[in-house]
This record gives sequence, structure tokens and C-alpha cells, in this order.
Amino acid sequence: MKQSPQSSNPRTAARARKRRSGDAALGTANPLLQVRLPAWRSRMLLFGLFCGFVALAGRAFYLQGGLSTQFLQRQGEARYARTLDVAATRGTITDRNGVVLASSVPARGIWAIPDDVDAGKRDLAQLARLLEVPSGELRRRLAADDRSFVYLKRQVELGIAHQIESFNLAGIHTSREFRRLYPEGAITAQLLGFTDVEDRGQDGIELAFERTLAGRPGLRHLIKDRLGRAVEDDWVREPIEGRDIRLAIDNRIQYIAFSALRAAVEANQAQGGSIVVLDVESGEILALTNWPSFDPARRDRMEPQRLRNRAVTDTFEPGSTLKPFSIATALEAGVVTPDSPVQTAPGSIRIGGHTISDTSSHGVLTVEQVLAKSSNVGTAKIALQLPAQALWDTLTAVGFGQAPRAGLTGAVTGRLRPPESWRAIEQATIAYGYGVSVSLLQLARAYLVFARDGDIVPVSVMRAESPAAAVPVLRAQTAQAVRRMLELATSDEGTAPAARVSGYAVAGKTGTARKLRDGRYSDAYVASFVGFAPASEARVVIAVMIDEPHGGRYFGGDVAAPVFSQVAAGTLRALQVAPQARALALASTEAATDAR
Amino acid sequence: MGSDTMPIRVIVVVLAAFLMASAMSLVTSRHHVRGLFADLEAAQQLGRQTEAEGNRLRIELGRAGQPAAIEAASRRLGMRPIDPDHTALLPPAARPAQP
Repeated sequence: MKQSPQSSNPRTAARARKRRSGDAALGTANPLLQVRLPAWRSRMLLFGLFCGFVALAGRAFYLQGGLSTQFLQRQGEARYARTLDVAATRGTITDRNGVVLASSVPARGIWAIPDDVDAGKRDLAQLARLLEVPSGELRRRLAADDRSFVYLKRQVELGIAHQIESFNLAGIHTSREFRRLYPEGAITAQLLGFTDVEDRGQDGIELAFERTLAGRPGLRHLIKDRLGRAVEDDWVREPIEGRDIRLAIDNRIQYIAFSALRAAVEANQAQGGSIVVLDVESGEILALTNWPSFDPARRDRMEPQRLRNRAVTDTFEPGSTLKPFSIATALEAGVVTPDSPVQTAPGSIRIGGHTISDTSSHGVLTVEQVLAKSSNVGTAKIALQLPAQALWDTLTAVGFGQAPRAGLTGAVTGRLRPPESWRAIEQATIAYGYGVSVSLLQLARAYLVFARDGDIVPVSVMRAESPAAAVPVLRAQTAQAVRRMLELATSDEGTAPAARVSGYAVAGKTGTARKLRDGRYSDAYVASFVGFAPASEARVVIAVMIDEPHGGRYFGGDVAAPVFSQVAAGTLRALQVAPQARALALASTEAATDAR
Repeated sequence: MGSDTMPIRVIVVVLAAFLMASAMSLVTSRHHVRGLFADLEAAQQLGRQTEAEGNRLRIELGRAGQPAAIEAASRRLGMRPIDPDHTALLPPAARPAQP
């Protein structure tokens, strides 16, 4: 028989006896402890625990046994899979020779979580210096309590962004972006326009060709290993890169036009000006420039009046530059010949209570001389022999009253009222360029008709892949006759000897028009010159407009014609057009005479 | 009975060995593929960087070739624009008569 432990050790047995007597004392003291719990309660508890374990086992089987894989897959993916936006690089804009005019390069956006930023004064000063932001401004942005995210600067150059990243400042982060660069700066500013911080086109070519240039961003599903390296990928949507576009612009001619225009506007203390250079053969825009301009890299200095592509968006009354179209219509209709005499004395004429006058009385002029001397009276007399519809047809056929479809934003239609509403005085004034408004691009395109033997092609800012379809407007003989008259206009007898180019014969017409202010003609003028060179086998049409010259001279022949001369000389040289021996000999003789 | 089950046991062992080898091969090839993918990613990243650098250099080239920069450099060198007084027109060279 097994011996009880109580009896084996007397000391232990004594302690046990004492405990039992203590328990008995307590039991009698507390009646609650004498209550026996019902057996079902412990069974219920046991059953509850059992159900809990069954539920856990069922759930474990459900997840692990393959009945449902979604939950764990989702949890797993959340730890190693990422879906990333993949930006499409915006296309490059080049000139006709492949010179880059606009291109996007990688950059970084620098942003911060203000609450997390824990940088010392020295670090912040260094950051402000790199970001070219005043320290106070930086501190103010980081102190913004109401924001959990703040951009410190967008489109920061990679080199600077890498320096900032190397500081390892808490709360300062970088994000991938693109930055648009315009190497030609102000020279092509209004033509190209600009993009916003998200690299989306806002104006000019950037806006007009947004769909081509922008491409489409992609979406990529990526699996990373524990080291953070991509190990598998799957394209949800592949990015479509923006396509490059090649403009018709020649950056050399653009520079020549821009520098000549800027010098002329400043020398004549003018409000502004524009130049358009067109290729006669294809109708391509070789140069289109305006002054004042802006630097696309300095957005903080952009002013609304500098952003306008004036040559396309602004209209003006063209004045005498419209006369060749009236004369051409008269020649075409057989009303006059180049040698027909026209009496312009006494230098003024009254039509319907209004007086039309010339700057001086020229007496009897031939039609050729009417254009060369730019006689308003002579032109009005010729135009009044025409039906209004004939003049309107010519002006419409060369593109006035319609927006040129050149691929440029903001192109205006100008104003050309229907001929049924013309009174005699209106027909007379429209004939010499008042009562009608045009843009410089429209005017330049219209002169293609004289430079091209009577037909016209659409203008295009894009490099033409194939020859444009020409639309006949005038007979070739008519265009040639007007061309001779326009060449005469640049002779010593004409209004624009300053338009001549050494080594080349040129043709063109001056315009000096008063500006309308509050419905009345003011003392402010628009001086213009539109011409082409070389006169006989024209390669380029050049239109120059100077708005409100204040330098004491305002005639187109004094203000705009010299600019034409400079631009034509540079353009013909850039296009490697051989000087004409006859014109060179003439120029040498003139130089020798001047020397004497 | 013992001799009948022997070939089946051998086949099971062989198949098990094949299964193990196949599993090891799968794991190895997956590892290899992932390594190659990581290399490809790195190469593509390098490609993108190179392209971006190429773009930047094209812009630099454009800046260096700007007419304004060339004109300024020409003037520094004492050059001047062409004018008719300093232009010589040469007739096309007469071709020597064929013997």
C-alpha cells in the first residue's frame, strides 16, 4: 500500500491541518463560497470555447485549404506588387533643318510634408539657395498648418534635385516630372507657345498640336522582391510616346527677322511689330516673329501683351498694301491697262460728302505709277470703275475675311463686309486699304498671288511633305504686270527705295494706315511693307508691320521698308540664292556714286 | 508479393527524384529569370537616362549653334556681315574640252 505523503512528513502534515482548519473557518465566514455552481455553466463555457476553436479551424481551412485565395493574394500583393503610372515623354519640336526648338527633359518636383520637416536653420538656408527661393518664403510654406502636402518648387533641374536628395532632409521629397526647354527663348516664344507645370500645351504650337505632342501615359503592374528590385511586370496599358513634329520654320531666318524687328521697334519707339516670311513655292512659314516677346523660361515675367502672336491674332487696316489687289482686279477685268492714264490732280477727290486725298498732287499718272507712288485718288478712281463684287471676289480669293488654316491657334478672320453693303465711298476706301481689317499672316499669304504668277497656296507652319495644291486667282499676265509695278515701287520713283536689297531685285508695297480709336481715326499709325524677293523669280514673301512708330517717322517706306531690306538680304543669303549680276552691278554703281 | 511491388517502388522513387529535380530546376530558372529581368530593368533605366542625356545634349548643341551665338562669336573674331562690295561673283568654271 502506498504511503500517504501527509503521514510521511510530520511537518508538512501539520501545515496541511492548519490550512484545512483555516479554510473551514473562512467557509463558515463567507456563505457565498458555500454556494455550488450549476454544472451547465461550466459546460456552456466549454462549449463556447469549443465553437470558437471550430470557427478558427474552419477559417484557417477556408484560407489555407484553397477554398478562397483572394484574401491572402490581396494581402500578399499589397506587400510586393505596385501599379505605377508611366509618363509618356512629350514630343520634340524642331525647325525644318532638325534644330531643336522645344524639348522635354526629366526634372523633379520638390515637395514637403510640413509636419515631418525637421531641418535646422542652416539646412533650410541651403535648401532655399538651391531652390532659388527666399528663405523667408520657404519657411512660410513649411509653417503652413493647414496643409499636409506642399510643393516647394516644380520642374527643378536634375542636378539640383540630386543635391537636395543628398541632404536626406526629413519630410522633403522629390517626384518625377518633365521640364520643357526652349533653346531659342524669346525668338520663337509666341510661335511655340508654352506648356504648364504638368507639361500640357497652353498656347501656340504646343497647344495646337497637343494631341500629337503629348502621347498617352501608361500603367504598369510591377512585382518587387524583398530588396525592392522589379522582378516581374505586366503592362496594364502601354504608354504611347508623344510624337516629334517638324516645323517649316528656319531658325536662321527666324533669328534674322527677330533681331531686325526688335531693332526697328526700339529705334522707332513703336508699340510693337511683327514679321512673317513665307516660302513662295510651298507656302510654308519660314519665320513668324513678334516684338515685344517673352522668355518662356521666366514665367514670372510673362505679361499678357507679350504673349500674343500678333502676326496671327491681331488685325489692322492694311492701308496701301491692299492697292495692288484693286489694281490687279481692274487689270483682270480689262478696265485699265498698266499704261492707262489716271488724273490724280488736284490730289483729292470728293465721294459722297467725303474727301479722299494724296500726300501731294501727282497730276496725270499711269496705272503703273499710281501703284509706285501709292496714290489714293488714282486707286479710288480705278476701283470705282469696277463692280463691288469683282473687288470682293479678288480679296476673298486671296484669303481676306477668312482665318488662314496654317495650324496656328488664335488665327483671326479679319473684317471684309459683303459687297452688297458697300457704298461708293466704302468701295473707294477699301480699294486703298481702309474699312477692311487683316492680320499680317493674311496679308503675307495674299502677296503669294503676285509672287507666284497668279495662283495661291495655303500657308502652313508644318514642314510640307508634298507640294500644296495651288488655286488660280489671277491670270499670269496680270500677276506679272502687278509684279513689275511693285518692283517700280522700290525704285527711286517709288515710295520704298529703302526696301532694296543689294544684289537682288525686289518688289513690294508700303502701307501707312491711321489707327482707329474709339471709332475715329487717330494720329497713331501702322507702318507696313509687304514684298518678295528676288522680284522676277521670287523665293520668299516678307511682310513687316510696325505698330505706332513714334520716332518722328511713320511712313511704311521709312519705317518698315528698311526692315524688309535687312530681312530679305539675310534670308536670301541663308537660302543660298545667288545674287543677280544686274542688281549687283547696280549696287556697285550706287556705292561708287555715294562715295563720290 | 515483395518482388511484385519492387518495380513500382523503384518507379515511385525515380519519379520522386524527377519531381524534385524538376522543382529545383523551376526554382532555379525562376530565379534566373528574375535576375535577368532585374538586369533588363537596369538596362532600360540606363537607356532612358541615356536618351534624356541625348536630348539634353541636342538642346546644348542647338544653343551652341544659335545664330545669335554664332554672330556674337564672329564679331569677337573681327568678322562682319556680307555686303555686295565684298562679294565676288565667279562665272561657272568652263569645262576643259574633251580630247
